[in-house]
Amino acid sequence: MSFTEANGVRLHTTALGAGPPVVMLHGLLIGSLASWYFTAAPALARTHAVRLYDLRGHGLSDRPASGYDTTTMAGDLAAVTADLAAPLDLVGHSYGALVALAFARAHPDRVRRLALVEAPLPPATFADEHGFLTAGPDHMVAALPPGLRDAIAGGRRQAARLLAALRALAYETTLLADLRAEPDLDAAALAAVAAPTLCVYGDRSSCRPAGERLAAQLPDARLAILPGGHYLHLDAKDALTALLVDHLAEPGDG
Amino acid sequence: MTLDPATAAILATVERLVVEVAGDEITLAGPLTLTTSFNADLELESIEFVALAEKLQTHYGAQVDFVGWISTKQLDEIIALTVGDLVAFIAART
Repeated sequence: MSFTEANGVRLHTTALGAGPPVVMLHGLLIGSLASWYFTAAPALARTHAVRLYDLRGHGLSDRPASGYDTTTMAGDLAAVTADLAAPLDLVGHSYGALVALAFARAHPDRVRRLALVEAPLPPATFADEHGFLTAGPDHMVAALPPGLRDAIAGGRRQAARLLAALRALAYETTLLADLRAEPDLDAAALAAVAAPTLCVYGDRSSCRPAGERLAAQLPDARLAILPGGHYLHLDAKDALTALLVDHLAEPGDG
Repeated sequence: MTLDPATAAILATVERLVVEVAGDEITLAGPLTLTTSFNADLELESIEFVALAEKLQTHYGAQVDFVGWISTKQLDEIIALTVGDLVAFIAART
């Protein structure tokens, strides 16, 4: 098990496969590096050096009280990839995609290709979409999406641990406030991202308009719609994996 | 059921590493057996299962290609994995 120190925070990382480097970033709250480890990462690892890490506050990484804005978290990504000389491919789900985008804006020369899966825009809509976050500790379970709520009602250990992690993130860190304060990306900001970018969204996801905007405003982007909701790596694992494999197999300049 | 010595040794290693990952209360309901399910019985979190895989990789080395094995499985197969499935996978490669 490997850990990298970033901004004074200990981040859990794992490496799979060999080849050109790809870093995969998971989504917030119920995500961890396991989100990619059990879905698209093993297939990409056949041709790439895939690096996964638990975002701050998630999985086996430290849970600092603050720093959940995309600028700080793009700094975490810079620390996690500081040893890699070659330009990176970045794959992100949800808020992890926004962190990848923030890194691409801050370090345009370090990013070869981007894949943004279900990136929410404006970023603050993410908090609104996840009503359970704002429901208060006593009502959090009742406000969870039905699938998760059922799992918690029927479960024991996993349920207790998930709920404890959600409560800690929501009430012991600035994550929610940071999400709400995260500025939207305007056309000029998106126009500065030159990396060829694949945007993948679910046909049943409320984030889909964000994909249409990204595809229109990023200089070199295409939009793919797959059957599913926000958690596309679960809803459409094989189709998403195939899209990612194809996108990252192409030359850097598109 | 009496296990052959090689299988028993792998099972003991898996149990030790599961305890390292999830704490010793994970075996309160009893020792691991080949039919114990990681998800339904132990209720390991997915990130704990990753940590277990990392420890197995360190213990057994590159010939136990856990990620290559996972890459051939559908999500429902991964969720249904038992200790016996994992032990058999390791036994075939060591």
